[in-house]
Amino acid sequence: MRIEYYFRETAAGLRRNGIVAFAAMSTAFIALFLFGLSLLIAREFGLVKDAWTGNVQVAVYLADPVKQDTITRIEQKLQGLDAISTMEYWDKTQTCEQYAKLFAGQATFLEGVDCEATIPTSFRINLTDPSRYAEVTAALSCVPDAGGQITCAEPGVQKVSDYRVLLDRLTTITKVLQVGVLAIAAIMLASAVALVANTLRMGMFARRKEIGIMRLVGATNWRIRTPFLIEGLVEALIGAIAAIIALFALKVIFIDRLRGEVQFFPLIKNADVLAVAPWVLAAAALVAVIAGTIGMRRFLDV
Amino acid sequence: MISLQRVSKTYRNGVTALTDVDVEVDKGEFVFVVGPSGSGKSTMIRLLLKEEETTKGDIYVGGKNLGKMSSWDVPKLRRNVGTVFQDYKLLSDKTVFENVSFALEVIGKPKHVIDQRVPEILEYVGLGDKLNNYPDELSGGEQQRVSIARACVNRPLVLLADEPTGNLDPNTSVDIMRLLDKVNRIGTTVVMATHDQAIVDAMRKRVIELDTGRVVRDQSRGVYA
Repeated sequence: MRIEYYFRETAAGLRRNGIVAFAAMSTAFIALFLFGLSLLIAREFGLVKDAWTGNVQVAVYLADPVKQDTITRIEQKLQGLDAISTMEYWDKTQTCEQYAKLFAGQATFLEGVDCEATIPTSFRINLTDPSRYAEVTAALSCVPDAGGQITCAEPGVQKVSDYRVLLDRLTTITKVLQVGVLAIAAIMLASAVALVANTLRMGMFARRKEIGIMRLVGATNWRIRTPFLIEGLVEALIGAIAAIIALFALKVIFIDRLRGEVQFFPLIKNADVLAVAPWVLAAAALVAVIAGTIGMRRFLDV
Repeated sequence: MISLQRVSKTYRNGVTALTDVDVEVDKGEFVFVVGPSGSGKSTMIRLLLKEEETTKGDIYVGGKNLGKMSSWDVPKLRRNVGTVFQDYKLLSDKTVFENVSFALEVIGKPKHVIDQRVPEILEYVGLGDKLNNYPDELSGGEQQRVSIARACVNRPLVLLADEPTGNLDPNTSVDIMRLLDKVNRIGTTVVMATHDQAIVDAMRKRVIELDTGRVVRDQSRGVYA
């Protein structure tokens, strides 16, 4: 009975404000799409960063086959350095698990590359200060060769990779893109709030006589407000669902085409879009709640 | 049932509508509040519904101090106080039945209560055969009956009527007064603001006269002037 009442009121409200409700929903859609997009950009660049740098500034790759005493010896050498803030050793298992995770769904890389044989184990290092990089290379007696590779005199070390600049650039690009899209999303979200609030107000204005009578006969504020709040929530959620569908479409149309085409470039998957979806829905709910609070403020003091 | 104690009301724009009003109304009484336009009759009704707050003084309805009542409890007050207005305030897109059932629906009464009480009260006000008509298919007197039915369907302790006969011809007005009298006889306290002299004189009920916001006369079995 109650649920039926609210459902009826909400449906009637959406029908009555057709065009304005459409404007609110489509704005919410674009806003939430951009919001979801900024989250996906962060995820994609997170993957790229992982694949290209392992999210560390320096990697010391060991020559295959690796002996346990080599690991111990190099570990001891590096551990003594103040320049290193964190250090972790990735053996074959861990290295290949990470590889499989990054390139999941990209058969070219998974089947075409024998991970165990090709990809070396490594010490993954973050520095206390990027400028102290030379202390690490010095400890292993490394020098850059003619091809720009850094080779080391220390036995057992294949090469050292300096990811400082790359990591820094990737982080900056991620931030710029994400903040840019997020800023546009924020402006659109604010418009969505305003438009949803406006439909609620128009609805209340159209029904001011009914609301007046409801108050006179002793309907509670919540009884009066709930149909409008639900209306706002439905508008925002329709926008959110459309946005999530659009994000999936974006992934299928643009990202999936690249799969396996670009060398060592990991790509977001369905799971990433799914992981973003709850945040988009939560943002929609927030839009509805703020719109409800703004839209009903003046109108409904007892 | 209703008690106004040294009540004053000054609106924000500086207009003083009531000054030092003391009124006691017992359970089951029928009271006319008379006086020219602007004498404070409507303000008194609005105060009793807590649509406005007093500037000074206390109002009690059914033992509850309205000044100390939280806005949370206002709906409860209004469920116990029925209201009837000069302009009926009916919803034109709803039938007679729906206009009355609306009042129960929005306070969460279950369907079986609605289906029992609404035809009952409409029969009581003499509209048992007009359940499915729309307000604009009814005469003014019939519309006012619908509004009385809506005010009474939740069995309020008090019925407040603000110029209920203001839009009606004398004969129809008499019918409406008979109905209000009938409602009063089953124990509902009725407070009616009016400046319809003929009706007040004919009914010979208690009369409270307001003039520029002050009570200038409070007389049982009184006449208009």
